[in-house]
Amino acid sequence: MNEGAALAGLRVLDLSDYRGQLCARMLADMGADVIKVEPPGGDGARRIGPFVDDLPHRDRSLFFWFYNLNKRSLTLDLEKPRGREILLSLVRGADLVVESFAPGVLARAGLGWDALHAANPALILLSIAPFGQSGPYRDWAADDTVLAALGGMLYVNGSPGRAPVRPLGLQAYHASAYYAAIAVLCALFARDRDGAGQWIDLSMQEATAAAVEHVAGSYFGDGRIEPRRGTLHWSRYFRVGKCRDGYIMHCTLGDWTSLVEWVAGDGKAQDLTAPEWNDVVYRATHAEHLFDVLDEWVKDYSRDELLERAQTLRLPYATVRQPEALLEDEQLAARGYFVDVEHPELGRTIRYPGAPYLFNGSPWRVYRRPPLTGEHTAEILREARGFDAGELAALAAAGII
Amino acid sequence: MGATPLITNAALPLAGIRVLDFTWVVAGPVATRILADYGAEVIKIERRPGPIGPRQTGLQGDLHRNKRSIAVNMSHPHGVAIARRLAALSDLVIDNFSARVMRSWGMDFASLSKLKPAIVCVSMSGLGHTGPRASYVSYGPTLQALAGFTRLMTEADGEPAGYGYSYADMSGGFTGALAALIALRHRRRTGQGQFVDLSQFEAVVSVVGPALLDIAVNGREQTPPGYVSQEAPAAPHGVYRCRPRDGDDDRWLALAVRSQAEWERFAAALGAPAWTAEAKFRTLYLRIHNRAELDAHVAAWAAGQAAEAAMADLQRAGVATGLVANGADLCARDPQLQARNFWGTVTLANGRTTQVTGVPMKLSATPGSIRTPSPEIASSNDYVLGELLGIGRAEREALIAEKALWP
Repeated sequence: MNEGAALAGLRVLDLSDYRGQLCARMLADMGADVIKVEPPGGDGARRIGPFVDDLPHRDRSLFFWFYNLNKRSLTLDLEKPRGREILLSLVRGADLVVESFAPGVLARAGLGWDALHAANPALILLSIAPFGQSGPYRDWAADDTVLAALGGMLYVNGSPGRAPVRPLGLQAYHASAYYAAIAVLCALFARDRDGAGQWIDLSMQEATAAAVEHVAGSYFGDGRIEPRRGTLHWSRYFRVGKCRDGYIMHCTLGDWTSLVEWVAGDGKAQDLTAPEWNDVVYRATHAEHLFDVLDEWVKDYSRDELLERAQTLRLPYATVRQPEALLEDEQLAARGYFVDVEHPELGRTIRYPGAPYLFNGSPWRVYRRPPLTGEHTAEILREARGFDAGELAALAAAGII
Repeated sequence: MGATPLITNAALPLAGIRVLDFTWVVAGPVATRILADYGAEVIKIERRPGPIGPRQTGLQGDLHRNKRSIAVNMSHPHGVAIARRLAALSDLVIDNFSARVMRSWGMDFASLSKLKPAIVCVSMSGLGHTGPRASYVSYGPTLQALAGFTRLMTEADGEPAGYGYSYADMSGGFTGALAALIALRHRRRTGQGQFVDLSQFEAVVSVVGPALLDIAVNGREQTPPGYVSQEAPAAPHGVYRCRPRDGDDDRWLALAVRSQAEWERFAAALGAPAWTAEAKFRTLYLRIHNRAELDAHVAAWAAGQAAEAAMADLQRAGVATGLVANGADLCARDPQLQARNFWGTVTLANGRTTQVTGVPMKLSATPGSIRTPSPEIASSNDYVLGELLGIGRAEREALIAEKALWP
C-alpha cells in the first residue's frame, strides 16, 4: 500500500513513550511501517488529554493520535519472558527500534544494545533519554519543562525581572524527535554503505540546547549571557506591537524606504525620516525608540489591514494570532496541510495536521488513522510468527498480548 | 586564499554527498549545518559583501562550521553558469528563497533536472511555493507569530511576553535537513530525484502539537499554558526564584512533581516542613486544585535555596528538577554537557579556538563531528572552482575582473 513512498520497506518497532513518539510518526508519514509496541493496558500517552469531546478513554486521546498517526499497534507485555522472546523475534525483521526507557532498563530486561545487535546486526537502535545514556545526570528525572530549563530554552523567554515563560507544546521533546529522525536517516545511509546497524544515543537536553539559536553563539562569541527582552527579538529587528484589534509583529529588516514612506504618509514618522535610519545596524542599535514610534503608528490600524498592506509592500510583517486561526488559514488550506481522516468507530472524520513539505516524487500521506489499542496484534503476529488463532488466544489469556 | 584540505572521513555517514547551498539567514543554514556535521560536503554559494559581523565566532560560527564557501555573482550569466556546473556535480541543491528566485536563475528543479535527472532540490521558502500567500515575505519571528506561538507566550496579565528567539528558524532547519535526507535516501533506493517544497510556516505549525487536534476536534480556544503541565498532571510544577548567585538574582529552579511517590520524596527532601503535611496538599488532585497556595509555599522555600544545590538535592531524591540555565550555566558550567563533550571546538585561521554548539545525537559507529570552522566568504574558491570545476587561475581572474566571481 505504500509502494513508491520515500521510506517504503523501512520496518520500525516503536517502544518509546510520548516523549519519543513524534520521531517514528514522521517516518510513518513517509511510508515506513511503524509498529507501536504498547503494554497490554495501552500506551501511557493514551491517558493524556485532550480527548475527543473531553471524554477520557484510551481510544479517544488526541494527544496519542497526534504522535501516532500512520502507525500500527501491537500490545505486548515486555515484563514477561514470553513477551520479550516475541519482541526479539520481531527485532530480527526490523530495521529500527525506537525506545525511551530510563537508561539501563532495556539492558536489564535482556533487550539492550548487545542483545538486539546480536539478534540483528543490521538493526539501528535509537535510544532517546532526557540526558542521554552517560554522564552524571544520566539517571536524573525530567519532564519537558525541566529539559527546557536545563537546555537553555526557558531563560531567554519573557520579560526582564519576571519569571521565564514557557512555550506552547512540548518543545524539548519535539526538537529531540526531529534530531532523532535525522539521526536515523544518517544511520541508514551508513548502513547502506557498511551493512552494519548502530546505536544512537540521543540526549534531549542536548537537542534542546541545539534548538535555541543564539544563546551559545553569544556566550562563546563574546561572553555575553543572553537576557530576557520581552517581545524584542535578540537580533533587535522584531518586536510585538498593538493594533486596534490585536497584536502584530513589527520587522525592520524589509525595505526601509517603503516602510518609512508609508509611516510618514500617515503623519506618524516622527524622526524616522532622518537618513541615519537607512542603516540597518542603526535601526538595531536604536530599536527601542524605533519600535516605540512604530507602535504609535500601528495603534489605529486593524491587524489584517496592516498585514495585507505591509506584505503588498514586501515588508515582512505578521499578525500575532491565536493558533485557532490556523484551521481557517487559506494558505494552509490551499497546500492541503490539514487532512481529513476517517475514524469509523467514532462515526466521524478528524482533521489532522499533515507534514510540512510537499515531495513531488514520493509524497507523505495518511495511510491509516492512529491505531486502537492492540488493533494489529493478531495481524502482526500472524505475519511475523505464523501464530494461529489458538496460539493468539493462549497469549491473550496469559496477558502477554 | 590557500586551499583547505579536502574533508575526508569515511566514518561520516553522509560522506560522498555534495550539497550546493544557497541558504542564508538562519533556518536554511541550520539544515545544511546538520548535513555538514554528518559529512556531507556543503558548498555555500555566497556574495560580497556578506552579512555584517564576525563570521567564525558567535552565531555565524555556529551556523556554518564544516562548510565551504565560494562567492558567485548570480546576477551575472557567467556566475549562473558556474552554479549550474556545480549543480551537475551535486546531489542536493537547497535554498530558502521565495519561489521566483531560483527560477529566475534557471536553478529551480525543472531546469536542473534537465541538467542532472537525479538531482534533489529542497526549497525552504517561508510559506511554500504554492497557495495565495506564497509570496509573503517572512522571517522566523514572523512565522511563529502567524503560527500562534507568540500570542500564547504571555505574562499573567495576558500581554505578550515574547519568544526571545526564532524557534521557527530551528524547526524549519530541522525539517529541511530531514526532508533532504529522506529525498536523498529515496534517490539512493530508486535512482529518482525530486523537488521538495518545504514551507517553514508549516514546519513551525507542525510543532504546535496536539493542541492543533484540540482545536480541530473540540473547537477549543487555546489559552497560554503558563506552567500548567502539558503532559502528566503535576503540582508543584513551574519555575521558582532562588537565592541570588554572585549578586545575580535571576536564578530559577524548574520543578515537576507528578506522582504521589514523587511528592513524598519532595516533601522529605525539604525536611518535611509543616505545610507539606497539610490535608489540602495530600493528593495530586488537591495539589492541583490548591495550586496557587502550594506555589506560594514552594516559592518561599526556593527563595532561600541556591538553585544548583537544590537541584542536586532534589534529583538525589528522584524529583524532576533543573535550574533555568542561562548562557553561562549552559555553556560553561553544566557538568552533564561537559561530560558528554557536547560543545564543539574549532581552531580559527588566527590559531585561536572557539566553541560552537555540538551535535546532539551520538551515533556509535558513525558519529557526526565538528572538523572545520565557519569558512570566510570565498575561502574555498581554489578547491571548488579549481579542483572541482577545473577552472584555471587565469580564467578565474578573468571571471573576477568581469564581476562574475568575488575573490
